[in-house]
Amino acid sequence: MPCGQGRHIVRWEAGALRLPSHPDPEAELVLAALGGERARCVELAEAWGRHTEDLSVLAIGPRGPADEIAVSWDDVDAAAQGQRGGWIGYRPLPGGPGGGPMRLASPSIPTAARSQARRLQDVQDRERTARRRNDMLSLLALGYGFQVRLIGQVAQAYADRLDEATETATETVEAVDRVDGVDRVDGVDGVDGVTPALVAAIAGRLAPVAEEWLGIDPDQVVVSLHRGPGWGSVELTGRGQQRRLRVSLPPGWLARVWPAGLALTGRNLVVAVERAGWPDARVLALCAPGTEPVPLEVHASQPGPVSGGLEVRPSAADAPHWEV
Amino acid sequence: MNREGAETFLRLAAEAELRGQLAPAPPPWAGSLGAGRIKVMVVGRALTAVGALDGGTVESILADLDLAVGVRQISGPPSRGLGRGVAGTVPPGILSRVTASATAVARQTAQIRFGPPGSLARAGRAARSQPAGITGSPEPAEPEPADDGPDRGAADRFVPVGLTVPFHDEGISGDLYLMSFAHTGSGARFIAVWGLYTPTRQLRLGLRHPDLIPFELFTVADDRGARYDLDFTPGDGPEWTSEISLRPTPPDDVRWLDVAAPLSPAVRIDLGQGGSPANGEPDVSEAKLSRGEHLLIMLAEWLLTVAPDFSHDLRRGLAAPSPGMLQAMTAALGDIIAALEAADVLSPLSPVPARLAALCASLRIGGHGIAAPPTDDLPERWLSLLAHYQRRKPDTASVRDGYAAAAAALPELDGIRLALLGLHNTEGMSYLHVLAQGMTAEQAGPLGVDLDFPLSVWLRDSGGRWHAARPAGWHGAGPRSREYAVRLRLVPPLPQSTTWVEVLAGGRSAEVRTTLPLRWGFPS
Repeated sequence: MPCGQGRHIVRWEAGALRLPSHPDPEAELVLAALGGERARCVELAEAWGRHTEDLSVLAIGPRGPADEIAVSWDDVDAAAQGQRGGWIGYRPLPGGPGGGPMRLASPSIPTAARSQARRLQDVQDRERTARRRNDMLSLLALGYGFQVRLIGQVAQAYADRLDEATETATETVEAVDRVDGVDRVDGVDGVDGVTPALVAAIAGRLAPVAEEWLGIDPDQVVVSLHRGPGWGSVELTGRGQQRRLRVSLPPGWLARVWPAGLALTGRNLVVAVERAGWPDARVLALCAPGTEPVPLEVHASQPGPVSGGLEVRPSAADAPHWEV
Repeated sequence: MNREGAETFLRLAAEAELRGQLAPAPPPWAGSLGAGRIKVMVVGRALTAVGALDGGTVESILADLDLAVGVRQISGPPSRGLGRGVAGTVPPGILSRVTASATAVARQTAQIRFGPPGSLARAGRAARSQPAGITGSPEPAEPEPADDGPDRGAADRFVPVGLTVPFHDEGISGDLYLMSFAHTGSGARFIAVWGLYTPTRQLRLGLRHPDLIPFELFTVADDRGARYDLDFTPGDGPEWTSEISLRPTPPDDVRWLDVAAPLSPAVRIDLGQGGSPANGEPDVSEAKLSRGEHLLIMLAEWLLTVAPDFSHDLRRGLAAPSPGMLQAMTAALGDIIAALEAADVLSPLSPVPARLAALCASLRIGGHGIAAPPTDDLPERWLSLLAHYQRRKPDTASVRDGYAAAAAALPELDGIRLALLGLHNTEGMSYLHVLAQGMTAEQAGPLGVDLDFPLSVWLRDSGGRWHAARPAGWHGAGPRSREYAVRLRLVPPLPQSTTWVEVLAGGRSAEVRTTLPLRWGFPS
């Protein structure tokens, strides 16, 4: 990535983003705080850190190799400078039809102080939105290989928390509130409201895989979140329009299987990784819905961008191809 | 209520929308991104309306969807698609496509909700007045608890007046027609209509500026000799309705008021008669609607009342061109129903979706996505309105301008107490004026549904025909008050031959019916 007057390598390794060209980023941050220039690589690492537990990453990031998001560093610069403001999606103007909350209902005449506070709030909202957008663009500009790893990192963060919550709930039965057929785990920080985002994230990435696996319409894939021991379940029910592929997978699938490009390996749906490794690994995989998964030894036949060099940005085409 | 189910549904809906937009060759029914986004937003607002989601969550999901689409548009459409691009990983039927321009749909929805631009411009004249449906904070639509504040009390008094006060002053002359008197914790006021017949034709036709009326020269005195000033609050509608407050507020037990205009004798208003429905106390019956059913009924009634705003011919026997814009706006109905079921606020066994489907069929609206087959079991009032639309020779006689005195207080419905304060015909339209206590002007609802006024109000005229009432404007009694003067537009307009009306107000928990005799007055 461009940094200062040159280009630097950024590496994701063993679950963390690394900056080989900046051996002591913390010291650089101290210097920057004292008035020095902030290195772009360091800024990027900060942005990465800000979003490793951001569920929005799951909603925005790629759904698979067919969904490559090509953001260039020029795009990032343009957005930061406001040269292309407005191109990045849109938010309707407040008060417009379909817009966000409108605040015209108060029958009282707004005071000057209230108006000023509202303007200040608007400015802060815009700044927050711009920073989030710029963060996200920078992270996407790293390329597909980094994008999927960030998704995996976010998923892993919540998988760990949910595991912890489930363990706590198992130990303290009262903590589990089963309402309307849905297990809710309360009282554990950071897991409230996580399930919907994880379900949508898995669904969005599993549906194209399922279509390739079985030829099923993505509309007919129904996903739920598996909690507790075991790998989950995959069942095919109904016929015709009522046909459904009902899949229950743990959030760990999004952390360990999907980012590695293992989801569909040799016509098998991989549901878990038993032994991680490169280029050989062992996974649990289903050859068909309704069956029990079997261990498979898999091998990455086409390694990633081993050519290296400063001009390489890991794209979807560089994703590993696994074979049984 | 299953809030997790509700959020999951909406996130999956957004996911499906993204997948559909990213298909290598989007199907022709995919519509624009805006159309799909609006649909996600409408479903989100429905879930907010029933309290299953908070507005922040909906905004967050939409913001993520916007950014997800935006970053993918930087380098054009993807070379390969994500799946087949037909909706997504959501329950069947979700997010069926629409073809209309999202912008046009949004604009049309806004116009239906807020009225045509002309009425907005007029509404802007009134500083304290707001057009109906200008809404704010998307907080859940929990029924408001009873308000024990100063707005509510035993002193509430609603009196039908039905008197004309003529006035003359320096070339200005006209009539002030007092429909009713309302005295609550927020103050005392008349609901009135002004008519000017001098000095110029132009003044009559449009330049009815309230500054021309000599309010300061009016005098008001009570039975004890106390005198009052008048505060004028213009209405927000096309006609010159207004609220005239008394300052200071008279005592609760004042017996009469003398209102005198310049150069005219005083007119005595007897405040001892009180609101008296023709058949005594209002009838109250239990309703037991779920939150989802209540919302769908409000949507259905919205649909019934906006149908005449479209130019297509709804009459039976004619070719049935698809009402495109209406169809586009109703394309999310099936999704809304599925979302309400996911949130456990609508039973899969509820008869309301089938009725909504039947209503759409009667209005020749397709593409709504409602899975339930239409039913013949429609409420009598819906059928009455549909019959009006489908009549080969619909009422063509213009509705004569007039105003009817009426006043009655209804029992509390879902935290809101309504007082009926008069009827008003003008420019071919009819309005029912009510005072709503306990109302919060805060919520944005799906499509044109006004969640600030979460009641279903209908009138049956003395000829047996039903008229739906939907909010057309309101203004509040004060910054901290939860009391609002609400103007409800009647569809279809009320014929001048109406001698009494039965008013039906329905909430989630109960329905209230009362019958009111009407005393019509007509402008000279």
